[in-house]
Amino acid sequence: MIKDATAQRIIEAAMSGGADFAEIFEEEKKSSAVGLLNGRTIRASSGIDYGVGIRLMLGTNVVYVYTCDKGENDLINLAKEAASALKSDSLSAIREVEALSKSTPSVLVIDPLSVSKKTNIDFLKQASDYAMSFDALITQVSASYATSNRIIHIVNSEGFNKEESQTRIRFSVETVATKGNEKQTGRIAPGTMRGYEYINEYPIIDKTRECCETAIRMVNAGYAPSGKMPVVIGNGFGGVIFHEACGHALESTAVGIKASCFTDKLGKQIASPVVSARDNARIEGEWGSYMTDDTGRESSDLLLIENGICRNYLVDDLGARRMGCEPTGCGRRQDYSYAPTSRMSNTYIDNGEDDPADIIADTEYGLYCTKMGGGSVDTATGEFNFASEEAFMIRNGKIAEPVRGATLIGKGQEILMNIDRVGNDLELSAGMCGSMSGNIPVTVGQPTIRVSSILVGGREA
Amino acid sequence: MDNTFEKELIGKLVDKALEYGFEEAEACYMSSSSMEINILNGEVSSYENSKVNGIGFRGKKNGQMGGSFTTDIDESAMDFMLETAMENCEVLDDEDEEFIYCDPEHPELVSIQLSGNYSKNTYEKFSEVGLELEKKILELSDDIKAVDYLSISCGTGPSISVNSKGLHTYKDSDYITIFAEARAQKDGVVKTGGHYWFGKDIDEFDPEPFLKILKKKVLGKFGAASVKSGEYKVILDSEAFVSLFQTFAGAFSSYSMQKGLSLLAGKEGTKIASDIFTIREEPMYEKALIKFPFDSEGVLTKSKALIDNGVFEKALYNLKTAHKAGTESTGNGFKDAFSAPVGISATNLVVTPGEKSFDELCEWIGEGIYITELNGLHAGVNKISGDFSLFCEGYLVKDGKIARPVEQITVADNFYDVLKKIIATGSDTISVPEGKGEYFCPSVVISSMNISGDMEEE
Repeated sequence: MIKDATAQRIIEAAMSGGADFAEIFEEEKKSSAVGLLNGRTIRASSGIDYGVGIRLMLGTNVVYVYTCDKGENDLINLAKEAASALKSDSLSAIREVEALSKSTPSVLVIDPLSVSKKTNIDFLKQASDYAMSFDALITQVSASYATSNRIIHIVNSEGFNKEESQTRIRFSVETVATKGNEKQTGRIAPGTMRGYEYINEYPIIDKTRECCETAIRMVNAGYAPSGKMPVVIGNGFGGVIFHEACGHALESTAVGIKASCFTDKLGKQIASPVVSARDNARIEGEWGSYMTDDTGRESSDLLLIENGICRNYLVDDLGARRMGCEPTGCGRRQDYSYAPTSRMSNTYIDNGEDDPADIIADTEYGLYCTKMGGGSVDTATGEFNFASEEAFMIRNGKIAEPVRGATLIGKGQEILMNIDRVGNDLELSAGMCGSMSGNIPVTVGQPTIRVSSILVGGREA
Repeated sequence: MDNTFEKELIGKLVDKALEYGFEEAEACYMSSSSMEINILNGEVSSYENSKVNGIGFRGKKNGQMGGSFTTDIDESAMDFMLETAMENCEVLDDEDEEFIYCDPEHPELVSIQLSGNYSKNTYEKFSEVGLELEKKILELSDDIKAVDYLSISCGTGPSISVNSKGLHTYKDSDYITIFAEARAQKDGVVKTGGHYWFGKDIDEFDPEPFLKILKKKVLGKFGAASVKSGEYKVILDSEAFVSLFQTFAGAFSSYSMQKGLSLLAGKEGTKIASDIFTIREEPMYEKALIKFPFDSEGVLTKSKALIDNGVFEKALYNLKTAHKAGTESTGNGFKDAFSAPVGISATNLVVTPGEKSFDELCEWIGEGIYITELNGLHAGVNKISGDFSLFCEGYLVKDGKIARPVEQITVADNFYDVLKKIIATGSDTISVPEGKGEYFCPSVVISSMNISGDMEEE
């Protein structure tokens, strides 16, 4: 990694154009992945990605340059080039680079990169072989496994000198059930920052069975109905609703330029009183965790909503300048090719008091989404949409027939107010979030919740 | 730019690979330079500049092709790439063979599509154009409160590949894109809308047509209400149709077919769409910003129909899938990045236009919905079965005219059914950048689609 003395010279060059802040972000990522289709290994890849980004700020103006070069002269020239984009005469103070401090959110007993690809393949084969012989309706099984180690090193003009190592594993199993022309899928895709011991302990057969069952249930299911109705959203990945409909609108990227539907809402009610939510980046071993963010700041366990009241925004250093507040340690980026922005980590609706079984029993008619797919949101209007991968009708307080093809749409502000029941079965689930600073690992989560009314887009009137 | 060093480096890597025990090998080097400015509140809020490069390697041993990549280019990286690629060969057991290829008649393939205008792309020039554009957007109406996002970016850079069969390829091109998103507020209701421009010469950017469309995309949404659920005739505007088609474009890949992931398997030569629908792949289409004379495997591309008057002519093949099917590659073997394996992609696609203008299409359908945006395409679709249920925006068409905007509605249908229900295409072709290249597509009329809304009665 870049030596302290070199870093100091790069920062000096970067500050020569009048910037009031300069930062070096150095990243090295080693990755390894395999992919299986119907039991055969059809993909195996390995790579090293190295690069450096240099960011300057002057007030709320940002200059960002990046490269794969690592020679000192190349980097100093790049820093000078960046500095020349700022037209200021005043020079700001530069603090001396502190001694390097290291952190990691990963909890590794067995380093995943020390495990051979053959072992990774054997693990996926268990799932694949099981699914292939599960039922004649299962016609395709794909499985993948990817692991990486990402070391980030941040030095800035305020003296920061931080290094964080992040090791992650994510794998997936997808089963396809076929009936005539109809094909439906079941999917699991867990992610972790624990070591390979996570894989050794994972109940792969049980989870693959569920995956096959979902695909078969959905291929036999009729279409979901259309119209407004109460919707019970299952725990775990169901939290994608909160991530999309609320989390993004609490990021300073939107709030800082008043482009969010939650602008100026601190201390005000934005959700029903049964809703409390957090963004906690400091859960050891969790997929979306980090101890040091991509701007060198310590991450936080942030209370976003307390009993319906908006308590905090997710603020990165640029957002802090715009909003006149302190950053919360949420500056993240996919890699060195992106300037950081405010992003989520492990974001979830906290446990409530209801037994999930009671929530279903108290719903006379509605939709029960047990597995959610992805979605998207317009943070200015709050309009969102997301798809359900597995859903059932609720009739007379009981889970009735499975239905497919349901999309939930609405406005974040309204949906949050319409959450009327919150269960006590909080679960987190891994995902990837795409936004201005690229695709980053996040977890979403929630207990079982009920929204009193959501527009369901299905195919049956 | 002189790339002698890189050419030698990847040539050396290929030679070393053969010594290392690979039977065949290929290496590619890609370099890219880019610049981007963002405008916010009358200022250049951010400026980005980059130069990145990387090497991708693939080598064949015992019929298996192992790959590796690095952006950390030095001698030790070569050893890493060869070692890990060999390890990958050893664990693979793909029953379908991948090939390293060189067309004996075309061992040297060169495609230089540099505009000669790239040096105009300076910080000063982009700032001037961007600041002026922001000002003009804000002047469009008092209801436009902010331009939340405005970026101008450009990129260029060569891509070189060399293989042990004697192939040498060289590609370079450049582009500029402009994107702006405005936010408007009226009577407490917020609406946003964005528009883009792309080209190769910043001086060719004409703000007037851009502003006209952006204005419609933002302010046209006020006064929106939902509709009653039911079956409607639908006009999909070019962008909406392209986004839908692109979502399911993987179904036309022979790879998806061979792996049982496409319902089009076995349907080559049969009717899959309405008689009036033709879509062609034109890699060298004259109006396209980027042309594709050859693919990443060194196979020459060709002009061909994907769907010709409703008949699915031929799937897209690369060398691997063509070998399995006993046919020839269609020149669609593309890598998405130097680090990626060879996949299958279409280049520029052209939908044959019809005779009617957009206004005539509205008049012709009389009553229906004109859809301008389909949202949630990454989530609300089943890529295999073709089922989709998507949040959409657009307008209600009444008495042959646009009556009012619609919101909070979803459209649910099946892609393969939609292809059969196309009853007209307009004469209003526009270019929509999507996938590897562009689509040239007019408005497309669908005889009926299922719309959900929460309005009781009109």
